[in-house]
Amino acid sequence: MNMIEFRNVSKIYENDSAALKDINLVIKKGEFVFMVGPSGSGKSTFIKLLIKEISSTTGTIFIAGRNICNLKNNRIPQLRRNIGCIFQDYKLLSDRTVFENIAFALEVIGKPNYIIKAQVPQVLKLVGLYNKMDSLPHQLSGGEQQRVCIARAFVNRPPILLADEPTGNLDPATSEGIMKLLSRINLIGTTVVMATHEKSIVNAMRRRVVELEDGIIIRDQKRGVYGS
Amino acid sequence: MSLVFRPKHIFGETFSSLRRNFLMGFTAITTVAITLFIVGVFSIIVFDIQSVLNSIENQVEIAVYLKDNISDDLKIYIEDEIKEWPEVEEVTFISKDQALERFKTQNEGSDILKEIQGNPLPASFEIRLKDPQKIEQVALRFVDKDGGNIEGVDEVIYGRNYVKKLFSITAVTGTIALLIIIILVLATMVLIFNTIRLSIYARRKEIEVMKLVGATNWYVRAPFLFEGSFEGFIGGGIAVLLLYFLNRFLLIKGETALVETMRIKNLALLGTDNVIIFIYLAIIVIGILIGLLSSGFALRRYLKV
Repeated sequence: MNMIEFRNVSKIYENDSAALKDINLVIKKGEFVFMVGPSGSGKSTFIKLLIKEISSTTGTIFIAGRNICNLKNNRIPQLRRNIGCIFQDYKLLSDRTVFENIAFALEVIGKPNYIIKAQVPQVLKLVGLYNKMDSLPHQLSGGEQQRVCIARAFVNRPPILLADEPTGNLDPATSEGIMKLLSRINLIGTTVVMATHEKSIVNAMRRRVVELEDGIIIRDQKRGVYGS
Repeated sequence: MSLVFRPKHIFGETFSSLRRNFLMGFTAITTVAITLFIVGVFSIIVFDIQSVLNSIENQVEIAVYLKDNISDDLKIYIEDEIKEWPEVEEVTFISKDQALERFKTQNEGSDILKEIQGNPLPASFEIRLKDPQKIEQVALRFVDKDGGNIEGVDEVIYGRNYVKKLFSITAVTGTIALLIIIILVLATMVLIFNTIRLSIYARRKEIEVMKLVGATNWYVRAPFLFEGSFEGFIGGGIAVLLLYFLNRFLLIKGETALVETMRIKNLALLGTDNVIIFIYLAIIVIGILIGLLSSGFALRRYLKV
């Protein structure tokens, strides 16, 4: 089953700079895909298009078989509830505890309390932070904060997980832990798309690699490494 | 939609936000209170100027002085004629004796009374109109084709220029007042818009996260809209309280004096009239609307994520 499909997708920003040019790409359910390339190559645009933070200029994007390009504005929240997002800067709310940060993601989509109370501890166990649920973000290390971010993205069990440079601020040892966690989530059946420019991680994982340069796919390799 | 109206979420978010951003909320409320207070004082003053002018307008009369040699038949004929005109509210006949009597009471103790021999004062009709604006039109009916007065009438007095000026003053003050009130309300809106924008800016990360995990726009918007209208409501309420005390303890005395000397009714400042209650309610409603609209506008940018 095709989880994500780009058909002739181009994105041209208002200042006429093309971020993506005629992209054709299929990502199957359960795949783990690295999007690699230098900054400005279109990785972030790719991710923003998937959660419809921006819209493509031409072409169509399908998620789980549904065209999201003609999605009405009031249907966007529904789309985003099925896509978990992880960021380089974690985007945690500093005045809320770990538990509250994760619960927040469920609250705002209207999940009742008993579900929140059941699911948050469960996902915290998955990311290994069960005993830190009452800590505030600034009391945690960078790796732990990223785990909270992953927990928040995954607590709703979305079929797709997008990670934009998730290890960008972390040292190699911590990054490895994060990658193990993402692999586990992928093994459960979640499709994971990760944008990165960290060579060592890509090389260690040996997963599918899609390389972008100036908005064009220049390489798509089944078990690739960073740089051909 | 069921997601939108969750009172616990809306009220909880609003009050925790007011607590977290106390200074911001305090600024917004103070701004609404001060500007709406000014708007209120101004509306009351304008309303009172208008009612002073209106009652002066309503005191405007036409005095038709009759010749001393007028026959009773002609006098009755003229009186009946005047009574049939649709513009006329009331017509009073003042006989020569009554005119003298009135003159004496008005000038009691004055030397002028000793000078008067016999009765030099004419009899007259005093005409009050339903619509004072028509005064000239009515007065001209006592003029015949040649430009003189009709038979039996000596003089018609209605202060033409004075009346015209009065009417134009009334119209101009009304327009200016409305303009100033509109400008003040707009200025308030800009101020509230900015304060709420700051409050939203302080919470932009929260909004971003909400949007990214799939909260609906209304879910994000509702607490802010409620916060805005709540601040507007409190600000408006404070303005009304200030107006009430100002009214109660400072202005009533002066106004009472004015009312007694000028026989003017319906002064808003007296607080007895419905008008003051209307102004109070309007200020609170304007406060709520200002808060609601400003936060709505301020949010638009942040909801685009």
